[in-house]
Amino acid sequence: MAHIEEHKETHTVQKEKQNYVMLDLGKTPKFGMPAFIQVVKRSLSLELLKGLGVTFREMINALFKGKMHTTKYPFEKLPISPRYRAIHEMLRLLESGHYRCIGCGLCEKICISNCIAMETRYDENQRKEVSQYTINFGRCIFCGYCAEVCPELAIVHGGRYENASEQRAGFSLFEDMLTPIDKLKEQKEFAGFGSISPNADENIKKTPLAY
Amino acid sequence: MSAQREEKKLVTITIDGKECKGKYGDTILKIARANGIYIPTMCYLSKVEPIASCRMCVVEVEGVEGMILSCQEKAVDGSVVRTTSKDLYLQRQNIMKLYNVNHPLECGVCDKSGECELQNKTLEFGISQQNFTAREVHKKVENWGFVSYDPALCIMCEKCVRVSNEITGNEALQISVGGYRSTIVNVKNSTCPSLGESAAVCPVGALVSSDFKYSSNAWELKRIPASCAHCSSACSLNYEVKNDKIYRVTNDFEFSSLCGAGRFGFDFENRNAVKDPEIFKEAISAFKRANTISFSAIITNEEALILQKLKEKYKYKLVCDEAYGYQQFLKAYGSITGETLYSGNLNSIKESSAVIVFGSRINDDNPMVKYHITMASKRNRARVAYLHPMEDSNISNIVTQFIKYEVGSEEGVAALLANTFLSSREISPELKSFLDNLDIGNISAESSVGEEELMALLKSIDKKEKLTFVVGSDLYNHPRAKEIAKLLGAIDKYSDFSFVIVPPATNALGVSLICSLDEKAEGYTVGYNSKGDFELSSLGDGDMDMPALNQQEGTLTNIDKRVVPTNAALSYNGYVLNDIANELGLKAEYTIDYTTHLPEKAGFKPENFDNLPSYFDNSGIEHRGYLLTSKSVKAAEDFDDIEELPTFDGAIVYNCNENINMNIFTNVTKAFKSDETYLKGSPQFAGIVKLNDGDEITFSANGTKYKRVFKIDESMKGTIALNPIFDMGLNASLNNSYRFSRLNREQ
Ligand code: SF4
Ligand code: SF4
Ligand code: SF4
Ligand code: SF4
Ligand code: FES
Repeated sequence: MAHIEEHKETHTVQKEKQNYVMLDLGKTPKFGMPAFIQVVKRSLSLELLKGLGVTFREMINALFKGKMHTTKYPFEKLPISPRYRAIHEMLRLLESGHYRCIGCGLCEKICISNCIAMETRYDENQRKEVSQYTINFGRCIFCGYCAEVCPELAIVHGGRYENASEQRAGFSLFEDMLTPIDKLKEQKEFAGFGSISPNADENIKKTPLAY
Repeated sequence: MSAQREEKKLVTITIDGKECKGKYGDTILKIARANGIYIPTMCYLSKVEPIASCRMCVVEVEGVEGMILSCQEKAVDGSVVRTTSKDLYLQRQNIMKLYNVNHPLECGVCDKSGECELQNKTLEFGISQQNFTAREVHKKVENWGFVSYDPALCIMCEKCVRVSNEITGNEALQISVGGYRSTIVNVKNSTCPSLGESAAVCPVGALVSSDFKYSSNAWELKRIPASCAHCSSACSLNYEVKNDKIYRVTNDFEFSSLCGAGRFGFDFENRNAVKDPEIFKEAISAFKRANTISFSAIITNEEALILQKLKEKYKYKLVCDEAYGYQQFLKAYGSITGETLYSGNLNSIKESSAVIVFGSRINDDNPMVKYHITMASKRNRARVAYLHPMEDSNISNIVTQFIKYEVGSEEGVAALLANTFLSSREISPELKSFLDNLDIGNISAESSVGEEELMALLKSIDKKEKLTFVVGSDLYNHPRAKEIAKLLGAIDKYSDFSFVIVPPATNALGVSLICSLDEKAEGYTVGYNSKGDFELSSLGDGDMDMPALNQQEGTLTNIDKRVVPTNAALSYNGYVLNDIANELGLKAEYTIDYTTHLPEKAGFKPENFDNLPSYFDNSGIEHRGYLLTSKSVKAAEDFDDIEELPTFDGAIVYNCNENINMNIFTNVTKAFKSDETYLKGSPQFAGIVKLNDGDEITFSANGTKYKRVFKIDESMKGTIALNPIFDMGLNASLNNSYRFSRLNREQ
């Protein structure tokens, strides 16, 4: 008995805080006879048909009253939170269209499953060029550290969660993740994991400028 | 008396409450560092004179007003020094703020990030905001061949300039003064690989290697301590490796230097070696059949010992053309001095106040010797006499007296030198009678070394404290090498010169101490990095693969008579010499098991490879491997009369690898690989042989046939042309004759 009371107590605490509702399911019969009686009762009061009735009603609602609840995946997809961490995206600078990644190598360094591999070089314009960049998605645990550490907001986690491919390591080249240049206008500023806080401007210490 | 003077030479000062001892004349900073006390610096570089441009090293000395620059201030006995205080901290903090004015925020891409002095000290002094400002000016990145310079990152510490002046002697870099607009300028537009030495000391990312630039973050690379494989200096270096690829070479630049070959010529590994049991079997039967093993001196001591043991077991002839002449030369030299080894080393060159270079185009033969002569010249104003048949414009800035002698007349020159330096000294009767018998006038005329020149030379070294005599590889294969060696031995014995007999190839000294070499190959020959009927090659072009020196561990014996360890930087999947030796009846699990067995009779120590240290301590003392002990040998003075000096008329070729492309291994590296096989001569030479720039020429010299494109070099003079042999592959080691020869053209 004591045990049950205790349970009730915690239950009320939770209820206050989180609006849990306890369903009234009645008491579960413990012996053979009451259980048998429950089965007979349920069968005779045609509870099965009640259930079928609900299904039928919802079908009518969905088909003829426009109240469909399922998404027609893969033709429809649910919107997901910006904080969702799926396949990475490589963003571009909005003004120039150049990729944002500066090749600093921090994502490669921080990645705890060691799945980012990159190579950089001194290019003809005397800049650091990212000559190779791959993420092995067979190993990535989608922890988001790479997005968090990136100083340029260049690598972010996107919402692309469909990872079926012939090879586990597929679709992981830099070009695959990079915003296509013709989609630059649609590139959204990232609001999720690792992005700057909305009040970032206020936190910046200004340096004197001689201009 | 002398004990007292010794005592006077020591000073004791108190730094931060700790009693520290140092030599008289040492700076406060030097003593502090040697005693493990940290004083922050930005512009200090141990191996050059104090620069004193940063003022970070300020300290307070009791009883002295204001702040003192510890990098420059000599310690006064008994003084009490404080390295930290609130004022000092603020002062240093302000300096760091000034360095950070307009410094580009590009640590994210900068090569130096992670090992940058500016980054480190900005954090160390907690610079979280800036209160200085200046109008930014645009500064263009410049590419100077092997290095590239970004003035926006430069903090004008001046280290690079000092290195190029004081150490490499290239003198290309200078400061263009203009306050905030100051930059470093390359006044000679030099693209010389020795600029890499300046890049190495740059505390920020301003001067960096163009090849390495932006290719990897410093912290991704694994450091493998090793020794440079390209010449007999076997300088200490680190191969920095990632994914089984060497990205760059670094070194302990505070105390040691590297030439361009060491710094940029690192990718000479034998990449595609595999174990093929069939070929291995062939190799074994080749060894069983062989009468001779011919090898190049670019191998480790351990391998040399394996070959020697095989020789003892199978009675092979052991032929190493690069080392044989040198071995004979040292022997003859030792027969006069009574020692197996020569007396000097690189350090003694650096400390000398007069240096004589005889029989070597030293700038090309051994860059580290040249660097040390440069240091002597710049720091001690050393007199440098350069005796050679060809003038070398690359070292004209340090040579104070060039003495030109005729090709082939080296014996005469040696006799003249002995006569000049020794005739007024107390010498043995044999030597005395030899010198008395010399027909000075005649020799002088034949060799065209004037008596006035020798007198001037003698006068210039008069009263100089430390003298060094550098002997090079023109002499080792000279037909009269033995006699020359004896005369030089006599100079060593009876005068104040210390001698450096520059080994002609990476491990020529080790090989000549470990192996008993034969002069000529006979019968069926197995070549190891050398021509043979069955060839083992580290270049990957022979019958069987061998590891290159950056793929194996072992020791080398360098010019300093030091046995230095080197380690494998890259993987190697083929067979090594030790596998063959085991199959042939020797027994050792690893090649380095032989390190303990290097012959003690020749001066080696029974040290375990894994116990060999490899570092420089805080006061700059080299702890790398161990020093060989020179052994006494029986000295007997007998001097042959001088043979009539040969005459070399007309066009002459001189076998000499130039421009840091030092051997067949540097010639496979990305940085130095050259498909161009050329002969380079002066306009005068072109006139004699009737060749134009770009003409093809086929000729034979000392039995080897060469096909080359002729190039005219306006800076050269005379009738001697340079014939680089780095492109000769396994044939290169066959060069066992006198380096000069008459040009025999073939059609
Ligand atoms: S999400 Fe985590 S595991 Fe995946 S790449 Fe980024 S850091 Fe590595
Ligand atoms: S952290 Fe960002 S900028 Fe740096 S390499 Fe990774 S993606 Fe590029
Ligand atoms: S020089 Fe140093 S401080 Fe300047 S960008 Fe490079 S790493 Fe950063
Ligand atoms: S390039 Fe580097 S070493 Fe040279 S002055 Fe500038 S910061 Fe100093
Ligand atoms: S270290 Fe003394 S002034 Fe720079």
